[in-house]
Amino acid sequence: MKGHVYDMAVIGGGPGGYTAALYAARAGLDVVVLEKLSAGGQMALTHQIDNYPGFEDGIDGFSLGEKIQKQAERFGAKTEYAEVRRLDLTACPKAIESSEGTFYSKTVVLATGADPKELGIAHEKELVGRGVAYCAACDGMFYRGKTVAVVGGGNSAAADALLLSRIAKKVIIVHRRDTLRATKIYHKPLMTAENVGFCWNSVATELLYDSKLTGLRLKDVVTGEETVIQCDGVFISVGRRPVTELVKGQLELDERGYVVAGETTETALPGVYAVGDVRTKLLRQVVTAVADGAMAVHMAEGYLAAGD
Amino acid sequence: MAAIDMDKMQFDQMVGSGRPVLVDFWAPWCGYCRRIGPAYEKIAETYGNEITVAKVDVDKETALAELERIEVLPTLVFYRDGKAVDSIVAPTSKAMIEGFIQRVLADREDT
Repeated sequence: MKGHVYDMAVIGGGPGGYTAALYAARAGLDVVVLEKLSAGGQMALTHQIDNYPGFEDGIDGFSLGEKIQKQAERFGAKTEYAEVRRLDLTACPKAIESSEGTFYSKTVVLATGADPKELGIAHEKELVGRGVAYCAACDGMFYRGKTVAVVGGGNSAAADALLLSRIAKKVIIVHRRDTLRATKIYHKPLMTAENVGFCWNSVATELLYDSKLTGLRLKDVVTGEETVIQCDGVFISVGRRPVTELVKGQLELDERGYVVAGETTETALPGVYAVGDVRTKLLRQVVTAVADGAMAVHMAEGYLAAGD
Repeated sequence: MAAIDMDKMQFDQMVGSGRPVLVDFWAPWCGYCRRIGPAYEKIAETYGNEITVAKVDVDKETALAELERIEVLPTLVFYRDGKAVDSIVAPTSKAMIEGFIQRVLADREDT
């Protein structure tokens, strides 16, 4: 015999996941959130969120994550600190194997988010918040009047560099090619900005620091020559990777690896919804993730009513 | 049982006590450290009977962190018989911390 069958299992405890749990619990659904570490997801590492409405002085992402969790739990949502290892999304009920045992649920909300790709060099994690950052829109304001490097040459790196050029004293773009991969629209404003410099054909090989970041060691990929640049911060923008290993082969992914789902958050599988950064969407923000969470519950209620 | 917030004196006492000790070296400004907090408290509840689960704020205990050669935060160190026997850096899930504890405990049974 199978164990307890939930109405909804939410995989991932970021803002989208816990908002789904909040709406589900308030709708009287029996809901559990499976989170591997702590609430908040990507935003848990953001020191200040100033574009989430309702917090006029801003709020740090970790605290916002905990608040949404507590709000959902106030209405009866449960949390399990479980690392999900395998999903069977076509079974009835759907089965979720995890480090804390197997969970069964009538519906599944996939809220696994995305991870910024890391450079993969020594001390990178340790220096997060002390000079190493992954989101200019989140952490750029801390570098007003300072010198920052942006590593990367794609659209998000170019957008970050442009944003930072209006805040920082100097922006140095470090890119492994001799031209930006970003779309042309970014080239001119960056090339003409007086405070933006470029280190072409370069990769960062070492983070230099005392109590916080002081600079980068760069290597020229053509000549092999090493140089050191001084900077107070480095924004790493070498791409983002949706967390979809669990659903590969079960759900359709687009060419960049995102779960194909529209504004209704419905996937190709009945009773399976994708919310927040993991799904195909134009704007990945906390406010759009929480909207997805509400929408997924709205759709799931219809699905559950039709099935009962 | 909550994770014990240790200073140098408590660290010396507990690590030298003969009971295995897991120590999370962390700092308040470290985002990854903060993320581990809730899961680490669960670990303290689950494993509190077998091992002492503790944490050290390296901003307050700088000398201790240097002595223990902590270079990356968060670092979890497992001590047995007064010695560091294994460590793990920036675990990304509660399951990873549990796997680490179980591995170290199993090593003991093998020897």
